[in-house]
Amino acid sequence: MPQVRIVARNFMDMVAALPAAKLDKLYDSSFICEAVLRSLPPLAKKYVLQMLFLDSPLMAKSMEEWVLPDGLSKHKVAIDRLLQLRVFMEVNDRKKEPSYKMNQKFQSNMQKYLTTGGTVPREPMPLNAAVRLPSVGELETYAMEQWECFLLQLINSSQVDKSTSFSSSMMRAFQRGLLNSSRDNEAPRLTENGFQFLLMETNAQLWYIIREYISSAEERGMDPTDLISFLLELSFHTLGEAYSVNTLTEVQRLAIKDLADLGLVKYLQGRKEGLFMPTKLATNLSVSLSDASSRKEGFVVVETNFRMYAYSTSRLHCEILRLFSRIEYQLPNLIVGAITKESLYNAFENGITAEQIVSFLQQNAHPRVAEKMPSVPENVTDQIRLWEADRNRVEMTPSHLYEDFPSKDLFEACCDFARDYGCLLWQDTKKMRLIVKGELHQQMRDFLRGQR
Amino acid sequence: MASAPSKLYQDDVSLVVALLDTNPFFWAAASLPFSEFLHHVIPFINSLLLLNQLNRVVLIATGTSSCGYIFDSGDGNASGNSNAVCSEIIKKLEDFVGKDSKIGKGSNGDGTRPAISSLLSGSLSLALCYIQRIFRSGTRHPQPRILCLQGSPDGPEQYVAVMNSIFSAQRLMIPIDSCIVGAQHSAFLQQASYITGGVYLKPQQLDGLFQFLAAVFATDLHSRNFLRLPKPAGVDFRASCFCHKKTIDMGYVCSVCLSIFCKYHKKCSTCGSEFNQAAPDSTIPDQKH
Repeated sequence: MPQVRIVARNFMDMVAALPAAKLDKLYDSSFICEAVLRSLPPLAKKYVLQMLFLDSPLMAKSMEEWVLPDGLSKHKVAIDRLLQLRVFMEVNDRKKEPSYKMNQKFQSNMQKYLTTGGTVPREPMPLNAAVRLPSVGELETYAMEQWECFLLQLINSSQVDKSTSFSSSMMRAFQRGLLNSSRDNEAPRLTENGFQFLLMETNAQLWYIIREYISSAEERGMDPTDLISFLLELSFHTLGEAYSVNTLTEVQRLAIKDLADLGLVKYLQGRKEGLFMPTKLATNLSVSLSDASSRKEGFVVVETNFRMYAYSTSRLHCEILRLFSRIEYQLPNLIVGAITKESLYNAFENGITAEQIVSFLQQNAHPRVAEKMPSVPENVTDQIRLWEADRNRVEMTPSHLYEDFPSKDLFEACCDFARDYGCLLWQDTKKMRLIVKGELHQQMRDFLRGQR
Repeated sequence: MASAPSKLYQDDVSLVVALLDTNPFFWAAASLPFSEFLHHVIPFINSLLLLNQLNRVVLIATGTSSCGYIFDSGDGNASGNSNAVCSEIIKKLEDFVGKDSKIGKGSNGDGTRPAISSLLSGSLSLALCYIQRIFRSGTRHPQPRILCLQGSPDGPEQYVAVMNSIFSAQRLMIPIDSCIVGAQHSAFLQQASYITGGVYLKPQQLDGLFQFLAAVFATDLHSRNFLRLPKPAGVDFRASCFCHKKTIDMGYVCSVCLSIFCKYHKKCSTCGSEFNQAAPDSTIPDQKH
């Protein structure tokens, strides 16, 4: 599903799209260098490591010799990415051969990291603060609750118990592209992109929302570069430690409240000052920058009789499963449903593809079945694909039928006319009948009138 | 030529178990001092941890009479200061070498000829057990590989144990990479890397060791399908005999269990099957020219 991947990776594209001066300034911070390095494709990471201690530029041709013929396309992708992010800079020597050199600041930061080790962006608060700090488990439940609440509000504002403090214009910005109101007095329906969004994994969804948040940051008076660097720094904080709000800049303080609503940090009131604690969603941010390698535990078991058992209590999961299956009943820890033809046709109408459904089921397979090969039974996956193909059996084109031609010459002339425009769909020479695409009808009438 | 089947991996999260040779007899006479060696290895470990947040590195020290775990990055102390990690590694190495030499002296009694080879079989077994534990911990685990930093010569008495470890690694599809920092090639590690599909390298310049490590051994298993990695010119397949632990080219092989002997025996010592054939006149058949 190429479209989904593009959405998830767009954050780094956004970083790459920053003007050169701002990008270079970003590389002053070694956390951003680390985060950018971790977001690169694996081959690019290797190249950075190899070039890290080389001072002189290396010719592009010699770099191509590092790869096997199979890997040339990946090599190109890696080099392009490195150039885009200005980690590698192109240097033209006298022979006009392109060669690459590493960005100075990036190189020195990474060399320092390797020889002296990484540091943390800010020191956590000492433990004698009067306020009771939530445990890691409590933080995780808090993060999940907040995130689900936000998502539920995103797709259906009427269903939530408590709403987040995002302004309605912010929510509308997030919903743009995901929801549309088909009719004024009806609740907005999810678009095709909206469905794809729901079936993505949490980190990808998070990055999508953050991307929208940053794009709209300029209107709200926040510098996107600062926001980007703050978010990347956030992923290097230690989970479960509290940090003082006083160490944040103005922009970051504004952002913290919004991030708390998304579930990335938990905002507490300490004795003298505000505290914030990053949750697992925040610390996993830089993990998910690159491709989707999901490390979450699954919860869905699909049986060969098309019944589905989802061990989850989350309403969000229920809504997602409702998209393509018929939910039969809900128990305290289990959602029971069945994948039926009607439910799948419903999903296909809404723009979800069979591949998305199958990969959602496979990625979220319960650990008990995940080890089995295949994790989702083949008869179920095949049937889903077949039902999708069913919809493609018949293709409809609006067209017109012409018959009762007075003479054969006229019939031939009409055929040629239609064929010249590429609109001839079918002809029967014996009975002199012709089917032409609907859009040519007006011109066909004029042509016939002209011929008579 | 990959002689081992390898799993297809989609991402580059790796678990590297590095076996460090700490044989004091070797390091006393080596061209590269041990402290310099560590100056190359520790940034290499940092670079592995840098490449991916989920990467894990485990250090195992190979002594002369024992092996021990030195460092495990997945230990629970999150990121933290690398300086502290570095000094912790050095301190643990010193403790280990001290304990190892005590064990060595103790078992040899009055100091008979000390072993000049390090206990490769022991550290390979430790590494394989650790990896097996990771495999059993769940479906989502990093891709494991073993990296041997070896300097001491091979001890033929460990032939059987090392070959058993190599075959276990082959069955678990764990590549064994070898980086030789000593003067001579190691037949065991050549065979290990060949059979398991790993990389064998003897760097020509030891002061550039970090660059060799970063360029070759930091490659994750997924990228290995696309990168050109050093291939050995030839593999030394010599075996050692089971009775005297000598390295031999020609010998007698039991047809039941394939154990190798240098001299004629009436009965196989491994499987107990009896050899009915009459003894030959001389020791080894002479070459016909």
